[in-house]
Amino acid sequence: MITLRINGLDVSVEKGTTLLEAARFLGFAIPTLCHMDGLSPYGACRLCVVEIGEAPKAKLVSSCTYPAEEGLKVRTTSSRVLRARRMILELLLASCPQSKTIQDLASKHGIRRQRFKQEYEDCILCGLCVRMCEEQMMAKAIGFRNRGENREIGTPFDVKSDVCRLCGGCMYICPVCQLRCTYNEPEKAICGGCMNLSPPCIEKEPFDDMMCYMDPCVACEIQNNK
Amino acid sequence: MLRLSSIDELKELREVLLDASDKSIPCIVIPTGTCGQASGASDLIRVAKREILAKGLTRKVRLRITGCHGFCQMEPSVLVEPRRVFYPRVGLKEMERIVEATARDEVLMDILFVDPETGKSVEKQDDIPFFNKQIRRLLAWNEKVDPIRIYDYIKVGGYSVLAEVFTKGNAAWVVEEVKRSGLRGRGGGGFPTGLKWELLAKQPNDRGKFLVCNADEGDPGAYMDRSVLEGNPHSIIEGMIIGACGTGATEGVVYARNEYPVAVKHLNIALEQAHRLGLLGENILGTGFSFDIKMVKGAGAFVCGEETALIRSIEGKMGEPRQRPPFPVQKGIEGKPTAINNVETWANITLIFRLGAGEFAKIGTRNNAGTKIFSLVGKVKNTGLVEVPMGISINEIVYNLGGGSTGKAKIKAVQTGGPSGGCIPADMFDLPVDYDSLAQAGSIMGSGGMIVMDDNTCMVDVAKYFMNFLKDESCGKCFTCRKGIQRMHEILEDVSRGRATLEHLDLLKELAEVVKDTTMCGLGQTASNPVLSTLRYFRHEYERHVVDKKCDAFVCKDLVGVPCQAACPLGTEVWRYAALIEKGDYVEAYRIIREANPFPSVCARVCDRKCETRCNHAVSGGEAIAIRSLKRFVTDRVAPEVYKPLRTHTNIGGGRVAVVGAGPAGLAAAHYLSLSGYKVTLIDSENEPGGMLLSCIPSYRLPRDVLRKEIESLLDYNITLRCGTSLGRDITIDEIFKDGFKAVFLAIGADKSWGLGLEGEKVKGVHPSMQFLKAFNLRGEELAKGHVGIVGGGNSAVDAARVAIRQKAVESVTLLYRRTSREMPAYAEEVEAAMEEGIILETLVSPVKIRYIEAAKAEGVRVETFVSPIKIDAKHGHLADIRCIRNELGETDSSGRRKPVPIPGTEFTIPLDRLIVAIGERPDSDCLAPMGLDVTKSGTPRVDAQTLATTRPGVFAGGDLVTGPNTVVDAIAAGKKAAGVIDRYLRGQEFREPPDVRLPRFFMEPATISDEDSEEAVRVEPAALPAESRRKNFAEVEMSLSTEAATREARRCLRCDLEFTRPEQNGQAECAAVEEKSA
Repeated sequence: MITLRINGLDVSVEKGTTLLEAARFLGFAIPTLCHMDGLSPYGACRLCVVEIGEAPKAKLVSSCTYPAEEGLKVRTTSSRVLRARRMILELLLASCPQSKTIQDLASKHGIRRQRFKQEYEDCILCGLCVRMCEEQMMAKAIGFRNRGENREIGTPFDVKSDVCRLCGGCMYICPVCQLRCTYNEPEKAICGGCMNLSPPCIEKEPFDDMMCYMDPCVACEIQNNK
Repeated sequence: MLRLSSIDELKELREVLLDASDKSIPCIVIPTGTCGQASGASDLIRVAKREILAKGLTRKVRLRITGCHGFCQMEPSVLVEPRRVFYPRVGLKEMERIVEATARDEVLMDILFVDPETGKSVEKQDDIPFFNKQIRRLLAWNEKVDPIRIYDYIKVGGYSVLAEVFTKGNAAWVVEEVKRSGLRGRGGGGFPTGLKWELLAKQPNDRGKFLVCNADEGDPGAYMDRSVLEGNPHSIIEGMIIGACGTGATEGVVYARNEYPVAVKHLNIALEQAHRLGLLGENILGTGFSFDIKMVKGAGAFVCGEETALIRSIEGKMGEPRQRPPFPVQKGIEGKPTAINNVETWANITLIFRLGAGEFAKIGTRNNAGTKIFSLVGKVKNTGLVEVPMGISINEIVYNLGGGSTGKAKIKAVQTGGPSGGCIPADMFDLPVDYDSLAQAGSIMGSGGMIVMDDNTCMVDVAKYFMNFLKDESCGKCFTCRKGIQRMHEILEDVSRGRATLEHLDLLKELAEVVKDTTMCGLGQTASNPVLSTLRYFRHEYERHVVDKKCDAFVCKDLVGVPCQAACPLGTEVWRYAALIEKGDYVEAYRIIREANPFPSVCARVCDRKCETRCNHAVSGGEAIAIRSLKRFVTDRVAPEVYKPLRTHTNIGGGRVAVVGAGPAGLAAAHYLSLSGYKVTLIDSENEPGGMLLSCIPSYRLPRDVLRKEIESLLDYNITLRCGTSLGRDITIDEIFKDGFKAVFLAIGADKSWGLGLEGEKVKGVHPSMQFLKAFNLRGEELAKGHVGIVGGGNSAVDAARVAIRQKAVESVTLLYRRTSREMPAYAEEVEAAMEEGIILETLVSPVKIRYIEAAKAEGVRVETFVSPIKIDAKHGHLADIRCIRNELGETDSSGRRKPVPIPGTEFTIPLDRLIVAIGERPDSDCLAPMGLDVTKSGTPRVDAQTLATTRPGVFAGGDLVTGPNTVVDAIAAGKKAAGVIDRYLRGQEFREPPDVRLPRFFMEPATISDEDSEEAVRVEPAALPAESRRKNFAEVEMSLSTEAATREARRCLRCDLEFTRPEQNGQAECAAVEEKSA
């Protein structure tokens, strides 16, 4: 067993436990977007950062990936942590304003404005779908491609993957709720179609460059019939 | 190749090799690293081989092909051993000569390296300043070995330390030696190598351990690892074998960048040779020890230099960092313990065991032992690789090794550590270069890239460049790194386009700090350094971009527009009138010039041509367009009447304005106020308007009829002239306001000469330059007689000298200046002209016992005070001679210029009849303080730089009065600005001028010029009166261009405006055409 101190409370956990698990065990809420029980930790969204160690060597680490260490001092809501978290949420909000999950988190953290240029991206590259597909669905149909600003998720060569069973797990798990497996050509889509009940065309204007492949699309039909 | 089966066999082999080589035969060494190959070293090798074979010199000359020696600026170079003669920038013909000369054991004196400081040839490589100030422990090996010949390496002692390491057979001893040496990782982090090895050695050995050489060097501007890989791959292999002995590692991996083809090739050959010789693989040298190295080639992702990403890449996965702990030493490649060290670290390991840990640690500072290779690039004279002891100051690297700035621009910063590093400003160049000091200054050592930046580098652009690089090279896993860098780049892009606000700068800083704090790997944690360090040390540059919308380095295109136009204080559309001259429309060209500049004919003669220094021709190493000559060409051909100024009549209230001083600033202000409908009274103390244009600039540069005509054209019905009225003596500001004037513009100039501060300066025969020039220019009095001495190096000194030599009773004129003529502030061509006219130039001379304090202060230079002033020698109250002392140039001061230092015992006497003191001028502003104005110590009124407003409401000041002696064009610009400010002031508006970005707006069809034409074209220089016919008279020296010459010169213009004005369709059509071709 490893004993560490989180926000002043001592806790003993098994070797290999992450800081996130230990903190949640004590009841400290830490927001996450890329973490899900049952999937391996990844550390992409950085929302779960906590402060460890003591000044001047204190640093922020992602609690979902950092293993508990003997005697470690952890602060989950220090001003440094909150400042970082707010900036991350502001960045997220600027990129994916349409996500309910992100909106809620931002609102909870008191974000009242975002100062960056508005974008409408449909993915924060949290990698949940990739891990879901690989670890729970045993399919490995999708994966990351490219790096830096060109990083994206997709099937190899954009061709429908043979191992995809159209289970829809990737979409179910997506925190941005914007059709992880969307493709403009239906035959290349890797899932069975959009299960999302709020298709993007409802608020068409801000999504000019988005393509809807739903056929028939409920929202469009309602509009057309008016 | 025979496999060596014991340590003794290796020793034997070495002895055989040494016996076989004859050291007396001279050897031509050709460095053929990537840099050498790029500049043609491969051709040199071909020529050298051919010559040696053709002339049958195989027994007289040997040839060795090696990796880079470091002096990349001088590639392709040749080194001749054993005399160690260095030939820089060798051509093919010269190579032939070198072969012949070497065979005869001669030195070719005519193609040796020339020291730019002393102008003397340097024979030996080790005497060249670039080399002799280094401690070349690793780089010196590169000269000795042909990287693809293992025997070469063995001959110079390669693999010999393995004997010691194996015979001791003690792993703990190896680790202890490395710890004792104090070696820290050369990849940038600076983790103690010994400690890392100790950790690895402690790991359980049941599944095997890995040693990795990180050769994924990818920082822009850094290539020291490449030179070691290319030039001496065996030193890395040897280091890794030693490492394996110490840590019990069983497998080695070299992770090399695929973009280094030569390095990959040499390393492959070296590995193969080491294998065949039995130095790698099973049972090395019969000791029973096994260790093997394989090479993995990286696919070009920068992030794979990060150790956890590198491990994943070696495993064949996507290069993505992961959380540490567990550290690679615990869990590395395939889950096995792994130690990763940089190329230079491995080479240093070999060195430690050759020298002994104690000897190794002798160089460097505490905690930072040994030497470090830096790649010195950017705006320095000598670019290349330098190996210096740790703890050396940046100053020494940049100035002593690098030779200082390439051009006239001042060095302002050094960027260390590539995209993860930061910029260190010039005033911190005393900083010792070691891991800890650099980190404290907000940068990092990194792998050793050192990019020198001068005033032509925009720090916003630098930060933007690195963000652009990292935007693509971040792996993209961490949201903050991926998106944060994109957003930082976005904000920087806005700043460089003038779209950002001050809040954006705060946001940028906030974001940068969060990115630094919250990312997982080293790349992300250091990615903000370029932004944070430039914000920390160069915030004023950011603010210039944001507030004033100006990029002083002329880099940010959207703020600069066309450089020549942006450089002109008046914003003259140079590109436009150059295009019009080319088309033959001189009248329109005149209108364009006159639109911006009320003194076209004056500026066509005496402008200091800021436009030409910024001309893209000049910036890219060519010769600037002769813009002033083109202006002269137009103004000589077109009558001023063709331009009818636009009268705006914004003056509604009928306010009257007084302008004090009828120099260029005052005249310009009066002119533009008149155009706005104000009644202006122009007050001047002399009897004629013109100010310094009339009283100071000699008529051989600016003929009086041209000047008077131009002034007359500006004086219209709105302007009343009151000459002979001096501010303070005849009139005060209170009286002016009492007379009903609503605003006053003070432009009384700076016409009081600084004195030398020397006793005896008041004797007869000593004149301040202003007094001398005014006496002649205004009243025709010739004060100079016999032998005349002039002290100073500015334009007024040269003017005084040239006026003096034209006066009848003058026999000789000597100009005394305390630095070299290179540092003279006067225009170079004026100095040359003066020398043509027979003026003797004594540089590096300063009158002894003179306190330059005041003058120096005006120049911004610190000079120590002199203690015992001796009077100027006088006979019967009249000047007889002055005593001078010779100077030498000393240390470089913070302004980037070298201080003149007097050499004791070199005093000498110059007999003189007249001495003219021209060491600078200041405003005659004693009268201003009593009139309610705040005056600074240097005598200039305190003025808001943006609005020209003084501390007294309604009183504005500009021109030389505010700036100190300055150029004509700056004075005109000040007057023009004042007119705008006063207009806004009188209309009750905010009088600060809104920032104005002058981008070209009019499309002018470019001339069709063939490539041959543009290559052949050279700058046109206007004809000048021959020197003999201009002595003793005041005829204008410079002549106008011919129509043909002007057209040719105008055609040479690069037309930088087209980038902004070319119609859209054209661009698209062109793109389409290109696409078609490529398809």
